[in-house]
Amino acid sequence: MPVRKATLRVVNLGRICYHSALKIQQQHIKQHLESCSTPPNTLLLCEHEPIYTTGIRRAPYNLKEEQRLQALGADFCRTNRGGLITFHGPGQLVCYPILDLGCFKKSIRWYVCELERTVISMCRMFGIEATTSPDTGVWVGENKICAIGIHCGRYITSHGLALNCNTDLTWFQHIVPCGIVGKGVTSLSQELGRDVTLGEATPKLLEAFTEQFNCTLTYDLNSVETQ
Amino acid sequence: KHEWVRVEGSVGTVGISNFAQEALGDVVYCGLPEVGTKLEQMEEFGALESVKAASELYSPLTGEVTDVNSGLTENPGLVNKACYEDGWLIKMTIEKPEELEELMDEAAYEKFVKSLDS
Repeated sequence: MPVRKATLRVVNLGRICYHSALKIQQQHIKQHLESCSTPPNTLLLCEHEPIYTTGIRRAPYNLKEEQRLQALGADFCRTNRGGLITFHGPGQLVCYPILDLGCFKKSIRWYVCELERTVISMCRMFGIEATTSPDTGVWVGENKICAIGIHCGRYITSHGLALNCNTDLTWFQHIVPCGIVGKGVTSLSQELGRDVTLGEATPKLLEAFTEQFNCTLTYDLNSVETQ
Repeated sequence: KHEWVRVEGSVGTVGISNFAQEALGDVVYCGLPEVGTKLEQMEEFGALESVKAASELYSPLTGEVTDVNSGLTENPGLVNKACYEDGWLIKMTIEKPEELEELMDEAAYEKFVKSLDS
């Protein structure tokens, strides 16, 4: 076990197109895989324009489905992450940890559990009692407040989590979120009955990250200022 | 590092180790290549999904895929329950037998896994 705390570099990308963020993730992954020295572990934070994305299980989402969702005014992207269909859009805090699990623990199961605990801890800071369930993600009762979908190759993680702050939840009505019939979605704003912005949620999420992953944060100078 | 190969004649059967399946959690989907796919050693050949995470699989050898475990389509949990037997992933030809000598044997792998727990 490393005695020294791991460092996480926070890069706030602000409002950014999903595809551009994917490219940035790929660049960070490449740094880990190709570098002779140890590149920093990075936490990418961002917010996307409306988009529906799917994971490696593509079969349930054919071209007709893709077109139906695009007709609603959203983009559509098939990715290499785990998890089924989800929605990203304004008001949702998206976090992509590009980590070398070798700096922490080389177990995907452990990593996903730590992400869930991080978000639960953050919800607690808002006075919200969130839980896990047999379906990966973070729940408030029967409603999912945060979706998780990960990719891991050679112990380098990508994709991550999507936390609803003041997202327009009606976008979720057009899909079965994460393929789970009968359950709903919620947001920090819905749970607290007031507007909770990314600006308010972000520092709390970062605080929860440092505690759960036992790490220190550094901030990239290229980061966008959070409002 | 956590893929195994069992050699029977000129065919290698590939799967993941018990350590690997435990670290993944319950496998819900196996994304595997098509028969005929040519693979280089260390090349990605598919992915396993568990706990909403897609973990890449890397070929232990250079060769061509001759068979894919179709049982995993209906029963991906076999990777967890029987990772060395019915949970095998692919079978492939062994184009470079010298690669086998570079691989860890069971004793060396056990030692390697123990060192990861430190």
